[in-house]
Amino acid sequence: MIKNTILILLLAVVVSGCSSVRELKIFETEVPREKLNLPHPEAAKMEPLQWVIITSENAEEVFAKLKEQGKDPVLFGLSDKDYEFLSKNFAQIRAYMIKQRQVIDQYKDYYENEETDK
Amino acid sequence: MFGSIKIAMVLIALAGAGGGFIYVKNLQADLATSEANNLKLEQSVESQKAVIKQQADDFKAILIANQELEKTNKTLAAEFDALDKRFNKINGRGEVRDLGDLAVKRTKPIERVINSATKKAMRCVEIAMGAELTEKERTATKKSEINSECPSIANPSYVPYD
Repeated sequence: MIKNTILILLLAVVVSGCSSVRELKIFETEVPREKLNLPHPEAAKMEPLQWVIITSENAEEVFAKLKEQGKDPVLFGLSDKDYEFLSKNFAQIRAYMIKQRQVIDQYKDYYENEETDK
Repeated sequence: MFGSIKIAMVLIALAGAGGGFIYVKNLQADLATSEANNLKLEQSVESQKAVIKQQADDFKAILIANQELEKTNKTLAAEFDALDKRFNKINGRGEVRDLGDLAVKRTKPIERVINSATKKAMRCVEIAMGAELTEKERTATKKSEINSECPSIANPSYVPYD
């Protein structure tokens, strides 16, 4: 009886010290998002434009010259004020393109810069 | 009787030893947990420091980006004002320049001027789209050499002067 009791006690002590349930380890590895890396669109080559100023004085001469050059004797006209507006509109579109390009470059630099990607 | 006491003492001693063993085991486990926790805390402090540094770097980068955009906006606004002034320049008699009147009186020279300006403006669009600058554009420093429509992007070596 006593032997059995001692045996059970010893067994309990030994068994309690041999618990082999291991701690579960979960690894979280951050996978960086692929860089978009879209190239800027290629710059277009502008076609040359030729303005012709036509007044009541030179109209005949201008149309004669057009015929001479084999061009249709027709001109698409703008008043001086409209020419001014066209120039300003053009400048504004150009400025917008410059700003837009800079914003895209800044975003690219901020989010896809090698030094900041860690 | 004496035998029973002996057995009881042995049992008590064994129970004490067993209890002590379990207590030490628990202590060891607690110690290991504490060490692991300490390590995690140290790592956490380090990663927090890294996060704070990253945030500071990000704020700095955002500030610089905004300053550069602001600078570009000011430069472009100044170029637009210059264009506006060219059209509405005040002459010696205090009158606003009238392009139409000038074109009637001096048709050919004005035609040349607007064709030249249009050519320059077209080149500005190409540069705004990302076209490479030519050597001549890159090295231009005089007013007579620059693209007066957009010197800020066409002529990086040019410093405005009066």
